[in-house]
This record gives sequence, C-alpha cells and structure tokens, in this order.
Amino acid sequence: MTEVRSGLAPYIYVCTRMRVRKAKLLPKEEYLRMLQMTLPEITRFIEETEYKKEIDENAQFFEGIDLFEIGLSWNLAKEYQKILEITPGSLKQFTKAYLRRWDIQNVLNILRGKLQGMKAGKIKEVLIPAGGLDRLMLDRLISEDSPERVIEALKKTRMYPVLQKEFQGAIEKGSFSKVENELYKSMYAEILSDAEGGIKGGNDFISFLRLDIDIINIKNLFRIRADGFEEDVRDMMIPGGSFTPDELQTLNSLPTHDEFIDTLRGKLNRHPILEAQEQLRNIHSIREAESELTRIQLSEMERMSKMHPFSIHPILVYLEKKKYEVFNLRALARGKESGLSPERIREFLVI
Amino acid sequence: MALRDVKPTRSELISLKRRIALSERGYKLLKMKRDGLILEFFKILGQAKNTRSELDTRYEKAVERMAVANTIEGAIGVKSAAFSVNEVPNIELTSKNIMGVVVPEIKASKVKKGIMDRGYGVLGTTSIIDDTASSFEDLVDAIIKSAEIETTMKKLLEEIESTKRRVNALEYKVIPELTEARDFIKMRLDEMEREELFRLKKIKARTSV
Repeated sequence: MTEVRSGLAPYIYVCTRMRVRKAKLLPKEEYLRMLQMTLPEITRFIEETEYKKEIDENAQFFEGIDLFEIGLSWNLAKEYQKILEITPGSLKQFTKAYLRRWDIQNVLNILRGKLQGMKAGKIKEVLIPAGGLDRLMLDRLISEDSPERVIEALKKTRMYPVLQKEFQGAIEKGSFSKVENELYKSMYAEILSDAEGGIKGGNDFISFLRLDIDIINIKNLFRIRADGFEEDVRDMMIPGGSFTPDELQTLNSLPTHDEFIDTLRGKLNRHPILEAQEQLRNIHSIREAESELTRIQLSEMERMSKMHPFSIHPILVYLEKKKYEVFNLRALARGKESGLSPERIREFLVI
Repeated sequence: MALRDVKPTRSELISLKRRIALSERGYKLLKMKRDGLILEFFKILGQAKNTRSELDTRYEKAVERMAVANTIEGAIGVKSAAFSVNEVPNIELTSKNIMGVVVPEIKASKVKKGIMDRGYGVLGTTSIIDDTASSFEDLVDAIIKSAEIETTMKKLLEEIESTKRRVNALEYKVIPELTEARDFIKMRLDEMEREELFRLKKIKARTSV
C-alpha cells in the first residue's frame, strides 16, 4: 500500500459527501411505518426510491421478492463502487481493504458452486460485486472450467497464497470452512499490517479494525459456546483485536454464561462492549447477542466518526449504515413474504 | 367344494377329517398371529403418532427458521451457505422380523453436524445459518425415524389385512365347507350302511322263507 498525499481538501470533501449520503438513508420512523405496510405497499415505496433503477435493470432475469433482493444488493454494490471512485488517497486504500470481505464471499461462492457443478447462472445469482473484483472479473471467474483454474485466475490478488495453500486440503475434506476462515484471518492480518505501516490516517482505520475484530470474535464465541464446541477455537478467531486467540480459547472453555460474561468484562478496559454487559448477560438467544453487538459496533463507529470527522470513519459509518439499510429493506420484504408478524420483523431490523 | 364332487368313501372321510383338523389348527394359529400383529401394530401406532407429531413440529420449526434466515441473511446468504454443503447423510438399510413380517431398520449417520462440519466458515456467516442448518438436520433425523416406523406400520397393516383374510376364509369358507363335506360323507356312509343292513335283512328273510 502506498501513501497518496493530496492535502486535506479532498478528505473534507469526501467526508462531507458521506455525511450527506448518510443523512439521505431511511430514518428509523420510515422502517416503523413500513412494518405496518403490506408487501405490495413496501414494493411500491421502494420503487419510489433510488433502488428503482437496479430493480428495473434486473426485472428481465428475476421476479417477485428475488428481484427485490437482487435489486437491493446490486444497488449496494454500485453504491460501494461509487464511493471507491470518489474517495482519495489512503482513504481509497482503506475503503478497498474494508470491501475485500465481499471479494472473499464472491470467490468462495464461485469455488463452491463450481465444485458442486452448478450452472453459471445459478452461481451468478449469489454474487454481489461490491468489492474489488468487478462484474467482469467475476464473470471471467464463473466461466473458468474448474475450481483450480478459478484459483489460477486469482493469481494477482492477495487471496491467492491462502487459496493455493488451503485448496487441496479443502477438496480432500470436502469442506471450505477452513479456507473461508483462513481467508478472513489473512485479510485482517494484511489490512492491519498495511495500516500499521505509517500511512496517514492508519491509526483511525486500526481503531475500526480492532473494534470489528473484537465484535466478530465475541459474536463467534457466543455462537460456538451455544453449539457446544469444546475443542480448540483458536483457528476460528481473528488475531489482532483486544483478545489474543489464547484468551479467546480460555473464554470458550468457561463452563457458565455468567462466568463468560464476567471474564469478558474483566479483560475489557473502557471498551464499548462494557456498556452492554447486562444486556449480554440476560440474552435469551444468540441472535439477540449478535444484534446487541451490531448495535454497539454501529454506535461506536458513529462516535469515532464524530471524534475524527475527516478520517476513514465517516466513510466506514456510511458503508455500514448503507449495508444495514439494504439488509433492513430485505428483512422487511422477506419477513412480510414469510408472514412474520411486524413485532418479529422488528427484532431483525438494525435501527 | 361342491358336494356333488365329493366321493363318499371312508378314505375321503379320513382325509377330510385330517384336513379339518389341520384347518382348525391353522385357523387358531392365524387368529393368534392376527391378534399378535394387532398388538404390535398398536404399539407401533403409539410410536408413529409421536414421531409424526415430532416430525410436524420439527418441520414447522425448520420452515420458520428458514423464513427468519431469509429475512436476516436474504435468499442470497442462505443459498450461499447451502452451496457449502457437500456431504450427504449416510443411510444404512437393514431389516428385522416382527412375527414373520420383514420390516426395515434405518440407521443414519452424519445427519447432525457440528458447527465446523457443515462446510461453511464461522467468520463469514451468522448464527441464524447455524440455527437453520440445525433445524433442518433435526427434520431429516425425524424424517428417517418416521420413515422406519411408518413403513413398519404399513407392512404390519398389510400383513394384518392378509392374515385377517386368511382367518376369515378359514372360518367362513374352508372349515364350514370341509365340515359340510365330512357330514355329507358321514351321512352317505350311514345311508349306505343302512341300505346294506336292509339288503341283508331282505336276503335273510327270503332265504328263511
């Protein structure tokens, strides 16, 4: 990663644009209003927003709720690509790094689809080109004959070493879970090492990454504990956050939920998660814990973006909030389609 | 068996008596088998009711979880997680014998999987995918159990039905016809004996005159 110096003005410009875009996102009241709407009313409401274009573009390939979901996802992808275009210097590098998780998801979907012998059209349905790999590249990867050739085509990307190392084992085991975990771990390790390399604004990005890693690790600890997985969890944890993998392993081996929460509290010092200790202690489902942790992450990101108004934080906050706007609209439509009650759908909205 | 086809001979009477005894013994045995099968059937029926209601509950739960997963992760997220599943459960089919009825015994392995064995990584998914996968694994488990019990029940029912038909055939057709034939032969033999006696008396009377 090389540093691009271009003065403060572009940073102020892009951060202000992000704030404007964030202000245009749907407010909480709109979601509450939509909860009371029927599915056709929600669809009509969405048709009057910026999502119309992508929904219309995909109308010849999909229909019903699938069209709605694809339209929302493609809008998200386009929006992310636009943000990448307008962000300058190191902010662009950080934004690109943040969006790498979409590349991992897309590449894994292509590899799994290829391995299962799925048709190109079916694989394409689950791709969201929101990362660095654009539509053309993803189309090229889909058109490759075999998973091995897909990996060869990714030779110039940072995913390649991990894919090359882990792919054979995954084929033998018939499972890509280790590849997936290793890709995310190496992504965070590389981004952290890049950000720590003295790039302007790197510290701000590191503070986001640490928070992100902590939230992912703690969410996964809740999940793994609920599953009753008692073996070594270090491989499933991302190093670089407030906890070392050994500490996370110790946390996983604690017998009771109260002990887990108490030890977590003991290890965190002035961490935003501390605010939600009691809520996390009294949770009834893992889903509740995940929602609570997502809420903490978003509010902490918001706080950081206010403390550092001309940094990567306003961009990241917008990217995350945009993602949750798409998720919320999708949840509303899918929830209504499945006949879930407004109260139940409300539980799944991040507002 | 039409009476006109019956030969009124002693050997035929002996053979009929043997057949009647055999039929009655068979009738008793089949009746006992039928009662035994009905008892077994009611035992299985209780289990089948439980497994069916368990299956219904698990199906509803799995459908509900799928709806929630679609709501939270979207169809794209759910399909993407489904792409990771490469391993199908192993089904081993053997058979066992319940009162002469061969019923299947289904053993399944690798149905219920742990978080690390489902094919997707924990870092790119959320807990709702675990919940949904787990609900569907429970559903597959219930389907396998239900398949074993309901097939057993179906086979028992078929056997009860055929045994009942045999019992009824013996009770209302075979044994009455054989008894009727036996009685007919007995009657004919008695008749023939009387005729013979009468003829002898006639001869004796003529010779004495």
